[in-house]
Amino acid sequence: MADSVIRLEDVSRYYLMGEFVVKALDGVSVDITRGEFTAIMGPSGSGKSTMMNLIGCLDTPTSGYIDIDGENTAGLNEAELAYIRNRKVGFIFQQFNLLGKLSALDNVITPLLYAGVSVRERKSRAIHALERVGLADRMDHRPNELSGGQKQRVAIARALVNNPTILLADEPTGALDSRTGGQIMELFEELNSEGRTVVLVTHDRDLGMRCHRQIHLRDGKVEA
Amino acid sequence: MLIENIKLAFNAMRGSKMRTVLSLLGIVIGVASVVAILTIGDSASKSITDSIAVGGLDMVTIFPSSGQRSSGIFDEAFGDMLRSDVDGVGAVLPQNSSNARIRNGKESVSASVSGVLSTYGSTLNLEYAEGEFFSAIDNINRRQVVVLGSGIAADLFPGQEAVGQYVSLFRTQAKSYLVVGVLESKDATFSLSYDRTVFIPYNTYSQRFIRTTSVGSYVVKIAEGYETIEVSDRITEYLDNIVGTDGYSIFSPASLAEMAEQITSTFSSFLALIAAISLLVGGIGIMNIMLVSVAERTKEIGVRKALGASPNVIRGQFLVEALTLTLLGGVLGIGLGSLLSLVVTNMLDWSLHLSYASFILAMGFSMFVGIFFGWYPAMKASRLDPIEALNYE
Repeated sequence: MADSVIRLEDVSRYYLMGEFVVKALDGVSVDITRGEFTAIMGPSGSGKSTMMNLIGCLDTPTSGYIDIDGENTAGLNEAELAYIRNRKVGFIFQQFNLLGKLSALDNVITPLLYAGVSVRERKSRAIHALERVGLADRMDHRPNELSGGQKQRVAIARALVNNPTILLADEPTGALDSRTGGQIMELFEELNSEGRTVVLVTHDRDLGMRCHRQIHLRDGKVEA
Repeated sequence: MLIENIKLAFNAMRGSKMRTVLSLLGIVIGVASVVAILTIGDSASKSITDSIAVGGLDMVTIFPSSGQRSSGIFDEAFGDMLRSDVDGVGAVLPQNSSNARIRNGKESVSASVSGVLSTYGSTLNLEYAEGEFFSAIDNINRRQVVVLGSGIAADLFPGQEAVGQYVSLFRTQAKSYLVVGVLESKDATFSLSYDRTVFIPYNTYSQRFIRTTSVGSYVVKIAEGYETIEVSDRITEYLDNIVGTDGYSIFSPASLAEMAEQITSTFSSFLALIAAISLLVGGIGIMNIMLVSVAERTKEIGVRKALGASPNVIRGQFLVEALTLTLLGGVLGIGLGSLLSLVVTNMLDWSLHLSYASFILAMGFSMFVGIFFGWYPAMKASRLDPIEALNYE
């Protein structure tokens, strides 16, 4: 139990859609330990996005408890949740979500800004993270000067730069061709083999099966 | 963080140049009007004071009321009494004036004729285009000599020397007077201009021009080292005690100057207030562009929140952006306002007195506008739901 990184205990998330209550997540309990490579799978509407948002502290549950890296997130305010997102979670999105007006380097620096890292350390850490994903030679390029695969590498560097406990990837290969997607997937496998906890949200069966553990969601519940 | 936010603000401005320029324009025009109005107002009151100083800021004139002429107080000994009783009074020069016609050959004009002592010219530092003021002997002997104001001389002796010539002064009958001097012409906005005046010896006036023993007015020179307005107030107090407030009136260019300055500054403050309202309107423009900017960058805000930006950080980013906009507008406005002031004062031939107080005021006001009108959009940005913002297209 000491090495539990993500712990969901009877977590539900309900939305109100007009007069109807949508049970996006309905009493889910999940435990992910340090160093695991987990896929959260399921068809669209199964609740995997909701689960990702909850693990990433972008959202709070209607009921239940979520511990991230041993820290209970219940009752935290927006600023405290932002702190956890900044220090413990590295997000990778399907559409990369790079800041278009900033260079690759400045994109990677951004989380360090919010972490209050000094100017010199910011730059050296960001360069190091870009080197790790093999893009040190592109750091002055803007996102629109990069290919899809390069963009996703910048996004991974950005997710890695603050040395988070969890890498949280939402369909990270969804916008890439299969060859590039495969390379990105290899990068995740490498990062995991270095001991990083990786959670991958996907509806793609083949991709999911490459992870060491699969959590299947259907209608807001975990399938046995 | 602040430096990064300022960089981001300039990034955002570069991204939408036209929109930035247009919304800046409101602030620029507002600040420029405030600066220009205050600067031009300052320059106006300085130039008024300057022109009054030309006319003699160290001078007041006392006019006894007609009822007081025979009271025995306002006689030729009044000057000595005033000098000994009121601190700061220098020379006191009695003066009698009336209007008369003055003629040379066929040319005839009306003029104000003043009977004054021979020391009048030197006490008031009069300057002469020709000749000089008459002498004490002229006064004692009641000679018929005259010093002409520049306007009168120009009318009666166009293009000629007047000194040495004779003119006729009409009151009840024509008398011939020898011209001994012509005054230099002088611009005086708020003091007596001598251009339409002619001076004759005091005794000549009393005995030969109009028979009178009372004094029409006294020109009081303020002693060196004294404030004109203070001495003027003391004279007022002194005369109020002797003859009452209705017994005399007093004219002082210095108090007029003060009044003119007060009016100018009140007026320019009022105009600046109106200009400040236009600055408020400019602020609404800033609020508008900031709201558009927040809406356009909803996705960016979502990404930043996912990367760990707290609501305070987001609010700070957009507040700094609004402040950068308004302060930039403020600096440009100060430049434009100063330029406008330079052009206007040049056209009106005033000297430019840049109002640094207005610079500070304008910058302070720009900052206030930036914070005030930037607050709501920044709050709005900081309160965006991260998931909704991330999914915004």
